[in-house]
Amino acid sequence: MKKLSKIACLVLASVTALSLSACGKKAVPVIGINQYGEHASLDNCRKGFLQGLTDAGLVEGTDYTVDYQNAGFDDAVATQIAQSFSAKNVAMMCAIATPSATACYAEAENKDIPVIFTAITDPVSSGLTGGNITGTSDKLPVEAQLDLIRKLQPDAKSIGILYTTSESNSVSAIAEYEAKAGDYGFTIESVGVTAQSEVTQAADTLIKKGVDCFSNLTDNNVVGVLASVLEKTDEAGIPVYGSEVEQVKLGCVAAAGIDYFKLGQQTGAIAAKVLRGEAKASAIPFETISEYGIYVNSKAIAKMGITVPDDVAAKAVEASEA
Amino acid sequence: MLELLVGIVTQGCIYALLSYGIYITYRILDFPDLTVDGSFPLGAAVTAVLITNGCNPYLTLLAAIAVGALAGLATGLIHVRVGVRDLLAGIITMTALFSINLQIAGSNLPVERTFDTIFTAAPTMALLGGVSLLARKLILSALLALLCKALLDLYLRTKNGLLLRATGDNAALVTTLARDKGSMKILGLVIANSLVALSGCIVCQEQRAFSATMGTGQMIFGLAAVIIGGTIFKKFSVVRGTTAALIGSILYKGCITAAISLGLPANFLKLITAVLFLVVLMLGNFRRKGEKRHAGA
Repeated sequence: MKKLSKIACLVLASVTALSLSACGKKAVPVIGINQYGEHASLDNCRKGFLQGLTDAGLVEGTDYTVDYQNAGFDDAVATQIAQSFSAKNVAMMCAIATPSATACYAEAENKDIPVIFTAITDPVSSGLTGGNITGTSDKLPVEAQLDLIRKLQPDAKSIGILYTTSESNSVSAIAEYEAKAGDYGFTIESVGVTAQSEVTQAADTLIKKGVDCFSNLTDNNVVGVLASVLEKTDEAGIPVYGSEVEQVKLGCVAAAGIDYFKLGQQTGAIAAKVLRGEAKASAIPFETISEYGIYVNSKAIAKMGITVPDDVAAKAVEASEA
Repeated sequence: MLELLVGIVTQGCIYALLSYGIYITYRILDFPDLTVDGSFPLGAAVTAVLITNGCNPYLTLLAAIAVGALAGLATGLIHVRVGVRDLLAGIITMTALFSINLQIAGSNLPVERTFDTIFTAAPTMALLGGVSLLARKLILSALLALLCKALLDLYLRTKNGLLLRATGDNAALVTTLARDKGSMKILGLVIANSLVALSGCIVCQEQRAFSATMGTGQMIFGLAAVIIGGTIFKKFSVVRGTTAALIGSILYKGCITAAISLGLPANFLKLITAVLFLVVLMLGNFRRKGEKRHAGA
């Protein structure tokens, strides 16, 4: 058993060494960022968040340091990241996307570490209110999107939407689409998937149903393979509307959507207040972006033969990749 | 640092329940059981719904065990009675459970802080109210892991337990004893998936949430934990398979936390975790070579 205990010691010692090396400077408050995974929108949230801290006059290195981790879209890893933040007594956890926020909020319970979230559609139904937690919601401007589609495609009748059945953000967005589509003379054809690998098959299904256009949500699985969806829809000549600027850059024709960088900035401003001790996170209600941008990709628009009315063109921001 | 270790051991103990399940199916029955990816969130879904409807959190443990048993029963019947291959039988149940789990919970379901979990309920507080939530989580999950291990060890030594072990090793023997090896397989799957669902139940209470995707990759985790534990303790015949599964699962969680703590770019996390696994397994192998030489001398 001696050798056994030696090995146990070795493993423990290496874990200790590894963890200690990461602790470092104690005096500067650490912000632990728990991002669910990497894709353009979530990355923009993080970049915007850091910009928001800078805009508030905080300097990285003297006022705060950042410990950034992403969970690679794995819930159990998100939990362990949150747990290690809690063990290291970070001054604040910043959670990007719902699974990360859920994990941070659960692991912060013991010590009441403030949690600042972003990129969450419905913080109330996700149980992310009431404690030492606040942040920003990325609820989609559904009516603005329907209005935009009606203006660009006056004859369109049906809108196809792909979503993941287990993403509550998407499910609530679909419900809102279905409730409001009638007001703009549309019907909604939605197809749910359970995994990213099923998204392109679901896109084929929608194309076969003969929808006049696709409207895309911020569904993590769908956004992850949006490029391959666009390949199919381009071939079929069906325009796809995005829900934020990165999707338009990727080849969606247009979007009435949020700018995740701005959303991140707004989140950073809240975090700065909490970090400075001006207010407790529990005392700040979560915020929703009220302004949305109209983004267009003129290359994609030209390909689809869509004419942009002047009133839309006046507001729109060009978002095609150079 | 101490807290980091507490976190690792807590996670390791909670997920050890799942590893015991994989130990039964993979090691004892030689049955690659993919039901796990569905029965784990099944336990969590039932727990989240019950707790948010005011059910006693301790009762959810029993409820999770019951529904996990049903999931195992389904895979067992599909395999033994319908004659579907083992892997596919598990895949069929797992696939069906994804929809069933969503149907049970509605969608991803949070368990808000106004609801008590086993870590905050009155009886727990009466006994362990003096210590922090972190410590309560550690104590309760370690107790559960050890209790399940003890019960499982006891069972495996009974006549029925020996039959179960024979089913994987030497099925012909079971038949010559005039017992049905199919029924033994079904029983093994029932026990295994009860443990897996119980693990899902505790994770749900610890995380205060059910998410439909929480089962993804759990079978792989369990396999890795059982194999890591098994490799390290290969030479020690006194160490039981369940102990190896418990240690393996703590080591697995330890590797992930170590990788997180290394402070390398976030995208390297899985690579570092993989390297750490390899290191742990190599340590186990080196030791074994040394022992052999020793034994030969």
